[in-house]
Amino acid sequence: MSIDEREAAAEREISVGGTAPAERDERAARLPDPFTPQRRSLRERIGRPRIAVVLSVVWLILVVLWALFPSVFTPFDPIAGNAAEAQQAPSLAHPFGTDATGRDMFSRVVYGSINSLSGALIAVSVGFVIGTAIGVFAGSSRRLVDDILMRIVDVFLAIPSLLLSLSIIILLGFGTAQAAIAVGFTSVAAFARLSRSEVVRVRGTDYVEAAFASGGRFLPVLWRHVLPNSLNAVLALAALQFGTAVLSISTLGFLGYGAPPPTPEWGLMIAEGRNYVATAWWLTTLPGAVVVLVVLSANRVSAAIAARGRIS
Amino acid sequence: MRYVLGRLGQAAAVLLAAFTVAFILLQAMPGDAIMIKFENPELGLSPDQIAALRQAYGADTPLPAQYLHSLLGFLGGDFGYSIQSGTPVRQLLAEVVPGTLILAALGFVSAVILAVGITILANLPGLRRIADVFRSLPSLFVAVPVFWLGIVLIQVFSFQLRLIPVINPGPIEGLILPVLTLAVPISAPIAQILIRSVDDVLGYPFVAVVRARGADPWWILWRNVARNAVLPAFTMAGVLFGELIGGAVVTETVFGRAGVGRLTADAVTQQDTPILLAIVLLSATAFVVINLVVDLLYPVLDPRLGPRRRARVAAPRERKVVSV
Amino acid sequence: MPKPRRILAGLAAATVLAIALAGCSANASPAPGSSTEAGAPVTGGTLVYLEHQTHTGLYPPGAGFYPNGGIVNNIADRLVYQDPKTLEFEPWIASKWESNADATEYTFTIRDGVTFSDGTPLDAAVVAKNFDLYGLGDPARGLTVSEAINNYESSEVVDKNTVKFHFSAPSPGFLQATSTINSGLLSDKTLDLTFEKFGPGNAANIIGSGPFTVENEKIGTGLDLVARKDYKWAPKSWSNQGRPYLDRIQITVTPEASVRVGALLAGQAGLVRNVEAQDEPQVTGAGFEVFAPQTNGVNNGLSLRFRNEKLSDIRVRQALIAGIDRAELVKTIYTKNYPLATSVLSKTALGYVNTEDKFAYDPKKAETLLDEAGWKLGSNGIREKDGKPLTLVVNEAAPQPRSFDALTLVSQQLKKVGVDLQILKADAGTYAKAIQDADQVQIYHSMVGRADLDVIKSQFYSKNRNTLLNRDNSDQSIGDPKLEELLEAVASTADPKARIEASQTVQKYLADEAYVIPFFEEPQVFAAATYVHGFASESVGRPSFDGVWIDKK
Repeated sequence: MSIDEREAAAEREISVGGTAPAERDERAARLPDPFTPQRRSLRERIGRPRIAVVLSVVWLILVVLWALFPSVFTPFDPIAGNAAEAQQAPSLAHPFGTDATGRDMFSRVVYGSINSLSGALIAVSVGFVIGTAIGVFAGSSRRLVDDILMRIVDVFLAIPSLLLSLSIIILLGFGTAQAAIAVGFTSVAAFARLSRSEVVRVRGTDYVEAAFASGGRFLPVLWRHVLPNSLNAVLALAALQFGTAVLSISTLGFLGYGAPPPTPEWGLMIAEGRNYVATAWWLTTLPGAVVVLVVLSANRVSAAIAARGRIS
Repeated sequence: MRYVLGRLGQAAAVLLAAFTVAFILLQAMPGDAIMIKFENPELGLSPDQIAALRQAYGADTPLPAQYLHSLLGFLGGDFGYSIQSGTPVRQLLAEVVPGTLILAALGFVSAVILAVGITILANLPGLRRIADVFRSLPSLFVAVPVFWLGIVLIQVFSFQLRLIPVINPGPIEGLILPVLTLAVPISAPIAQILIRSVDDVLGYPFVAVVRARGADPWWILWRNVARNAVLPAFTMAGVLFGELIGGAVVTETVFGRAGVGRLTADAVTQQDTPILLAIVLLSATAFVVINLVVDLLYPVLDPRLGPRRRARVAAPRERKVVSV
Repeated sequence: MPKPRRILAGLAAATVLAIALAGCSANASPAPGSSTEAGAPVTGGTLVYLEHQTHTGLYPPGAGFYPNGGIVNNIADRLVYQDPKTLEFEPWIASKWESNADATEYTFTIRDGVTFSDGTPLDAAVVAKNFDLYGLGDPARGLTVSEAINNYESSEVVDKNTVKFHFSAPSPGFLQATSTINSGLLSDKTLDLTFEKFGPGNAANIIGSGPFTVENEKIGTGLDLVARKDYKWAPKSWSNQGRPYLDRIQITVTPEASVRVGALLAGQAGLVRNVEAQDEPQVTGAGFEVFAPQTNGVNNGLSLRFRNEKLSDIRVRQALIAGIDRAELVKTIYTKNYPLATSVLSKTALGYVNTEDKFAYDPKKAETLLDEAGWKLGSNGIREKDGKPLTLVVNEAAPQPRSFDALTLVSQQLKKVGVDLQILKADAGTYAKAIQDADQVQIYHSMVGRADLDVIKSQFYSKNRNTLLNRDNSDQSIGDPKLEELLEAVASTADPKARIEASQTVQKYLADEAYVIPFFEEPQVFAAATYVHGFASESVGRPSFDGVWIDKK
């Protein structure tokens, strides 16, 4: 039993730890010399993280706009290339260069955002919905049901995630959505453990006990008191998983299990461009930089969500 | 004692379930290993020849019989042969497991060292101005694709600076870059835990009190951070270690190392069921054992947990989450 | 809280550094030494050879898989030797041979004094045992028949030095078959092994009479080939008649293309296989040598599965041919080592005849043909007929060089004439099923290397690779009996001249019927450090290390 709690705790540490900006920043400000009195003003302390978060959100919004209205951002067709212009370095006409068959890489990145973002979204949703359902149910059930559910989660963890995700792709067929589901499945266990431990924690708090004591029935109390207070950490993990999912899909592309062509997809672009790392660096580096920025931004936002939970 | 027995029983159930789930998963895949191997037109075999081979391999025996056969074989320690290459699975595993274990163990240790380093740098008074850079390193580390990192490390350290050969390196040389590649993404969550623990400790009112009594601030940090962070780090070791073994596939491919990860990826591609079942059993066993060990080590590492744990076993409804 | 500016700056700096360093590495290779000054061969030394895949077994009939063949070619000798340039035969283990007029009986005289590396003599009896296995297979042990051997019936050991083979029907390709890696001669004990024992982990126990033996195998990462100091039965035309010059070859599996090339340029390897076309300039630019031996068989190209409803109309097939700009394809994706194909067979293949005029690029003609065939342009730029879009699926041929990039470009070209070409990318199981079904994969991308007239039969005959799916797998029916007849003629005409004519008839027939779209004549591309001399390969591009020597201090 205790394993679940500790691991869930650790997972929460991963999701929340170090990324609770306001609170952490407050302490960070004190850190270098923790023993001198606080000198920074409150405004300074709260103001700084907001810039980072705002920039992150702006970047994410831009990427979402790419996904929704790609043709606004680039005149080129991501699929039709011009063979005469194959493998050109970045220039004004092609800010991200062109690939081996003369397709504009920037337009592939822009048009690819819909696939990558929806892939990440699907991955997170699968993990979040299934994992949280199992976790919340286990955390609020009797010991036996709890044990059984958490052992099922253990089975998920015991099978190597690589094997699990590759098998799922083989079963479902190749595609962005399929790869995303496979990635999502590997995070079910993390969500289940985290949400379960949160539910257990919240259940133990005084106000929930009070709610039960004052005659509240199980489900309403769960819905009104337990869930809302458990979800912050889980949401933070979800935001964090969003970035990880993009990378996991990319790794699947590296292993040859990516989206089928000619779909532009970030992870696949990075994976396929790696063969050109010495001859056409832009093919892997520029889409890679876009992904790094998205992941960093997602982490920022995740931290902001987590912080809100902590402060309130 | 009853608790330990119960845990062991649950562990066995998890093992059996993992084996069964894997078996079903593998059987549900389209095609099978024999088809992939022999119906490849490149071999130019005629339909009659393929039919004869299918029969020789017993590919058409009913599934429950195949399941029982492999389960009993595994219980008796017989892992069978790879369908693709014909090599005994036991031999394949014996060849790759030590390398992967060393890589994973060193990768984990290096990740911890890296994480501690980042934490210290992020908290050094002299580096206050750039502390933010170190604090954002963990986020950056998880945002870089591992295969890209590996290829760039090779390009830079082996091909450009020519410090370390990647082709036929010595046993120690050959581990440096792969371990680094593996350690970077794993260090990120650990660093996040450590940085947060430091922040937490410094936030406790008692720190001011202790300091007022004249204690060395670094000593306070060390003692309390160590206590706070060791437990989650240990817990993570349990989770990450299993992931490491599978996650090493990218590192192994880029560096051309044999390992469990690559064996798994190749075997999935070929649907080489005997190899995959053995790997599932191996990793499930490792998972269960590591968790049991962590479980037993917990009270040793943190005496505070002792009584409470006993209370928990007695009254499981009152479990409280530790360490947060 | 970190300032985003700083993160960005740090990220940018890291990226720039990585790029700069990676970029430099291409040019920072050692000063090119001059390989022209190579003097007399030097004996001794170790060569590091980078393979990109690990071998899967050393059973010779399965040696078509490249990494397997690279090993088998060096540990096992053959009865006769085929010169990779002239494609003529010369004695190797057999000092002479003859066959009867209708090619149903072959007699080989085995030379004296040849031993396997375990010390046992190589005599007629063991040769007979070899071909009984390769010609008939042994399904009970999981051992398959060699694709190169047709109509094999039995062997007959006449005396210690003479062996005779009998065939149920003419088998004119048998002599060449005995020269291929699929007929590598193995010792008596080795031939008793099961399929399992030919697999990785047991390579050192595969005993041949070749110039090298296997040592130090590490599953999945490589093995060493060690010279046989007593080797003295090389074919007469080999530059080296004695023991191999090299002491040892370390075959190291290095899956990543960029790592293979980078390691060569950084001086960590002497020879690498599978240099991708896009890396060739980088290698030659740094003063290294690129070898691109041809594979002398059916060209890399597409088979159009005419039994599929959409492709059953010859006008549609002709339109596909006219819609693909093969010259642009070769120019954009490949290098001069990949000559544009002019027939279904390579120019260097036996029996080649030029049918270039049938494969001309003419997009106007393509559009006209499709219009005539009733495929009208739809609103999305894809042609339709009876409400069905002209969507075709082609497989990605993963073992072939840059198959994916090539097909991507072809797909872009066909889009311009209103054809939607999809590239199949799937797991091995789904893939294995899909390529056997013309309704799932209408166009098959492949090639086959073998320096015999039989090669065209290997590729298209219903009971061999059947790439056109002339034999439907669901009901075993044959769609084009004439093609079958023509292919059978190639494999069973005993008269050499008539056999060449038979092959040319097939080539013309395939072009006339628009069954194939050949792309290029496929090479195997190696790159070597300047200190490596005497590189040679057998007739389909597997390296022969016997004559290789190095003058590295």
